[in-house]
Order: sequence, then structure tokens, then C-alpha cells
Amino acid sequence: MIVLPLLLVAVVTTVMTLTDQGSASVLRHLYLVPTLWAGLTQGAIGGGLIGALAGLLHAPVALPAVERDGLTSQTLDGLLSLGLPVLAGLLVGLLVDGSRARAARLSAVLAIQRRLAGPGSLEDALAGVAEELRVTLRARRVALLVGNDLRTARLASVPVGTLVDADSAAAFTLATGQAVASADLRADPRIAASEPPSPTPLRALSLPLASGVGVVGVMAVEWTGELSRATRAAAEELALHAGLAVENARLTMRQRRFADELSEKVEAATARLRELDQAKTEFLSVVSHELRTPLTALQGFSELLLRSVLPPEKAHRCLVYLHTEACALGRIVGELLDLSRIEAGRPLELRPESIDLDELMERNVELFAAEHRQHRFRWTPSVPGIALRADPDALDRMMKNLLSNAVKYSPRGGAVCVSASPALDHPGMVEVAVEDDGVGIPADQLPRIFERYVRVPHPETAAARGLGLGLSLVKALAEAHGGRVEVDSLPGKGSRFRVLLPGLDAHF
Amino acid sequence: MLLLSAPFDPAAARPRPSPGAYARVGAVAGLVAAAGLALDRLGAGPPGLGRALAVGAMHGGLIALGWLVATGAAPGWIRPAIRLAAGAALASVAARLGPWGPVGFLAVPALVLAEARGRPEMLAMGVGGVRLSHAAVGLAAGAFLGAHLLVTASLTLGYRVHLSDLAGYAGALAYDAGVNVLSAEWLFRGALFSACWRRGSFWPAALLTTGLALVRYLLDPALPHAAEARAGAVFYLGLVGLTACALRAWSGSLLPGYLAGLAFFAAYRTLTP
Repeated sequence: MIVLPLLLVAVVTTVMTLTDQGSASVLRHLYLVPTLWAGLTQGAIGGGLIGALAGLLHAPVALPAVERDGLTSQTLDGLLSLGLPVLAGLLVGLLVDGSRARAARLSAVLAIQRRLAGPGSLEDALAGVAEELRVTLRARRVALLVGNDLRTARLASVPVGTLVDADSAAAFTLATGQAVASADLRADPRIAASEPPSPTPLRALSLPLASGVGVVGVMAVEWTGELSRATRAAAEELALHAGLAVENARLTMRQRRFADELSEKVEAATARLRELDQAKTEFLSVVSHELRTPLTALQGFSELLLRSVLPPEKAHRCLVYLHTEACALGRIVGELLDLSRIEAGRPLELRPESIDLDELMERNVELFAAEHRQHRFRWTPSVPGIALRADPDALDRMMKNLLSNAVKYSPRGGAVCVSASPALDHPGMVEVAVEDDGVGIPADQLPRIFERYVRVPHPETAAARGLGLGLSLVKALAEAHGGRVEVDSLPGKGSRFRVLLPGLDAHF
Repeated sequence: MLLLSAPFDPAAARPRPSPGAYARVGAVAGLVAAAGLALDRLGAGPPGLGRALAVGAMHGGLIALGWLVATGAAPGWIRPAIRLAAGAALASVAARLGPWGPVGFLAVPALVLAEARGRPEMLAMGVGGVRLSHAAVGLAAGAFLGAHLLVTASLTLGYRVHLSDLAGYAGALAYDAGVNVLSAEWLFRGALFSACWRRGSFWPAALLTTGLALVRYLLDPALPHAAEARAGAVFYLGLVGLTACALRAWSGSLLPGYLAGLAFFAAYRTLTP
């Protein structure tokens, strides 16, 4: 408070008047006490005012002595006493103001760093930083425009709905990196102000927030009244710190996002690895089971043939069983060999030749129809003129896999249709389609069904045997031919698989 | 916030009023003042009338200059400036025409307020409302400096604090209120200090305009010619000027500085060598 130094000045003056010792009184030095007090507590303005008051109050004592005695050492000392308090008050006040300003700047820099490094959104942090800057700079308003593109830049500490004019001073600073200073915004000819002039100038600075990568934003500050050089220098210094802090915050946030994404990816990869591990375990179990079934049959029938003398019909039936199981074993081994080739990244060995599609379809349909009597198999002879060049064994395996799936996933029986025709939606391609009216495949599982070891679970098909390799092999074989596999499916309605292969005229 | 919302043209420059306008105001005021002095020298008309015309022309010229600076010589500045200058000159002449003549000085502030009303550039120079506390501080500052002057002048130079002629004192106060303090506040604090402060910072603007105001007072033939009186005038008028600048910047109005000047001159008029 400046009241106490004022009272002290009044006390000193009263005591000097009462003692009446003239201009040489040692009591005059007591004026320094309230002056320094005011300078230390109120800064340069307080120190200067109290010092000036002290000098003025001492003048009626010092000046008559000068008039009476002329310039002697005593009167000169009295004259110096007039100016000394104001000088001392100003000097101490300026030093105090300077150190306070430095402390405030340092504190603001720390607060800016803290706010931008803290949790929460960047918008909230920027609003906090703008408020810190406003208080430190004793400004009327501080706004922060963060971002190097005006259209996407974020605005902090401005009323909701504030729009940045593309030709504004802030936009100019953002585009050029040059600061804009205005001694009075409302009377500045460079600024098309819509506000009427005011008795007190509205000072303003538009400062670039610069970092190592260039201008990352703009700090816009407005002051009412006086703007000292020290305050302007402080604003420039704080803009520099704020620019670096904003860039650091953006980098930190980007790093956090990257770390989060990385963590999510690692989690997903770990889950996928666990899934694969589980699938491989299941695969081994299924493979063992799939191999043991035909092997058991082979062992049993061969032992029966070796140890017993059977009638010719019964022996022939045993040989038929032996042949069927050997074929099944051969198919499983073939699939495993293909799988090992695919996993090793080796191309599948194909021996392309002209294919009689009708013969292939008829043979497979009859084979499956003989084994699965509860299903109705139907095949449509292909359109005359369709010519296809492919590996017959590969095409046969594709057909068998698709028919096998159609049967497995139609547990209650139903229709299985096979057809071959030119693909109308893929010119130059021939499509071989297998369609069933089984359990179908949920939409979210469709992207996964061509992956290895993947079997779509369904309560009605839980007992179905399989390695989870069939469709991935069909896909690999189709792609090895330069074709592809497509699927349309609706849960409860059935599925339709299309193998699209290049026609004879197309490149093989 | 204008930095964000107002269009900015880095190449735009402030239009400068032509020096011709200032020269015209100075020439007209000088001619009328010269005519008044000539009348006084020739002894034409009632005694002191020519001198009153010269004084009125000088203050009218200062007020017109203030108007010119404040409006930036925008079109239409001439008529109000002529009315204000003529009002000051007429009030000065009227003051010599009878015992109640000085009351005419009080019409000048009213005329200034009437001309300034509704003009945003006048609001910018400080012609507007003011808080009572600001006005009181201005009055107190002027009273303090006036009292200090009385004490120092009486102790140092042996001047007497004396009121022998109340009517003359009241006339002098009316002169100060109507033209003397008014023209100084209007031109030096209102027009010049406001414009300089608006373009820069306080201290250069305050020192420059206070220096110009001191020059105007030192050129005033009414100021005592004694060296110690001139030194005192420089000291006190400098302080009054700086105080008025600080009050104008602090309060945003010319009134506190005007009241400070009035209070100071009210004290000064009681001094007798």
C-alpha cells in the first residue's frame, strides 16, 4: 500500500517543520525511507511519486536558502536533496519492476510448460496458456492461433464463434512469420477497424509462435493504454517460449498417439499369434484324427484280408473300402503338401491342359451324390463353347473342397448346385459355381474364411470334420491360375462360391 | 479481437494533413492578433480592446489548431474551427466591454462542448465523461501544486498571497476557465498529447507536449519578466503539464487535467510580487 509511505512523508515533513532546522537538517535524509519503501513495494511509479512528493515538500525549505545565501555548498546540498528522493525512488522502483518482470516471465514459462505437458485436450491447455500470458503481460486480451494452416488452426481464449479473417493481421503473421505491432488498433490505417476510436489507445502485437520447423501459430495480444518496451520484449520472449512449448506439446501428443497405436497393434498381433497358436494346436489334433481315421480303416481291412480267408464278394468290398480310405488319405496328404508349399512361399506346381468342365463336374457330383444321399445334387451343363485351360488335378481339388464344404455346412441335407458359365461381370473369365442352401456365413466372418485354419463355428456344424484349410487352398489354387474366388452368403439361407478362372483366350 | 477479425493491409499509410491548413490557421490568428495590437497601439476604440482582441485571437488560434489536429484536417474542419476561434476572440473582446464582460469567457467551454458533441474523434482526444474520483484527483493535484507554489513563492521570493480585487480575481478565473487553461488542455493535452501517445509511448509524448506548452507560456507577454519568476513558471508549468498528461492518460479525459490547471491558476492569481 502506498498510504503508509505517504503517511511517513507527512510525518517527516511535520517533524522538519516543527524543528525548523532549515535545508541542512539531517532529517531531510529520512525522506529516503518512504521513497525506498514505495519503490520496493510499488515499483517505479510508486517510488517516483513518493520521491517527487518528498522533493516537492522539501522545496519550500531548500529554495529560500538558495535565494537567501546563493549557491553555497550547503544550499547546493539542499538542492540535491530535492532530486535525490525521486531519483532513488525511480531507480529502486525500476530495479524492482525489472526483477519482478523477470520472475513473472520465468514463472509464466514454467506455467506454460506445465499446462501444455499436462493431461487433457490441447484446446484446454491452450486456453490456460493464453490466460497465463494475459496475466503475466497485464494484457487486456490474449488469443492463441495454433496450426500452420488457417483453415485447420485451433483458436484459444476467444469468444465462441470467433472467425479469423483470411486477410487479418494474425493471418499475415501466420503466413509470413512477421510480427505486426500496432500503437492503436482503432486508429491504425493498416487495420480496417469497425470499432470507434477511444480516448485510450488499444496497443496490439501479433507475434509468430516459431519453432524449429517454422511458424506453428500466432499469439495475438491487446493492451489498453501504455505499452512499455519491457512489456513488448517480454511478449516477444514469451511468444518464443510458447512456440517451442506448443511444438513440444504437439510432438508429445503425436508420440502418445503413436505409442497408443503401437500398443494396440502389438495387442492385436499378440492376440492373432495366440489365435494362430491355438489354431495350430487344434490343427495338429484334427490332422492326427483325420490321418488316424483312414489309417485305422486301412489297418483293419488289411489285417482282415491277411488273417482271414474271405469270400470273393466280401474281399472285394474290403478292397473297395481300402481304396476309398487310401484316396482320402492321399487327399489329406496332398492338402498338407500344398499347405507346406504355400507357407514356404513356393509356387504351386501346375500342369495346365485343356479341361472338359462338364466331365469334371459330372464326375464329382456323382461321387458326392453317391456318398451323401440326404443331399440333392444338381449340375447344369456348361454353355457350349466354354474353353478352359487349367491343371485338372488342381481344379478337381477345388471342386471337391467346395462340394465337401457345401455338404458339411448343409447338415440337414438340401440342394447343392454346380454350374459353369462365362463370368458376365468379369469379361474373359469362366466361373465355376457351387451353391448350397445350408447355414450360411455371417457377414463379419466373410473376410476371414479364406485364411488358413479358420473354421466358422456354428452349432449345427460342430461335428463336421475338417482342417480349416480347404478354402485357403481353393483361393491359393485359383490365384495360381490367375483367377480368384468370390463368395456371397446369407446366414440361414446358404452360400454361393464362385471360382473365376481365365478363359482359354485370356493370359494363363 | 481486431487482430483476428479485421482486414489488414501492411502497405496502407496514414494520410497526412497538408501543412497549408496549419499555415492558414496560424496566419489568420496572427493577422487578427496583429490587428488587435495595432488598434491598441493606435488607441482606437475602448482602452484595452485591441489587446483583448489579440489575446482572444491567440487563444482562438490555439483552439482552432487543436481542432485541426484532432480532425486530421478532414473535410468540413474549417467551419467549426472558425466558430471556435471567433468565439474565443469575441469572449475576450466582450470581457473588456463591462464589469460582467468576463462572464462571456465561460461561453467558450460550452461552445467547445457543443461543437465536439457527437464526433468520435473528439471522444478519442478526451472530450467525454469522467469518473468523479478522477476529477477529484485532478482538482487535488492542481490544488497541491498551487498551494506549493504559494508557500514556495512566499518563502523564497517574498511574494504575498493577497486578494485585493475580488472582481478582478473572478475575471482572471473566468479567463483561465474560458480560454487560458482551456486552450492549453485542448491543444497540448487533447490534440497533441493524445495523437503522440497514440503513436508512441507516454514519456516522449508528455515531454514533447509539455515542452510546447511551456514555450507557449514563455511567449505570453502577460508572464512576469523576472528571471526567478520565469524559472518558477518553467518549474511549475512543467509539473502542471506533466500532471495533466498523466491525468489524461490515466482517466481518458481532459477534465481532470483541466481542473488541475484551474486549481493551480486559481492559486497563482492570488500571488502578488
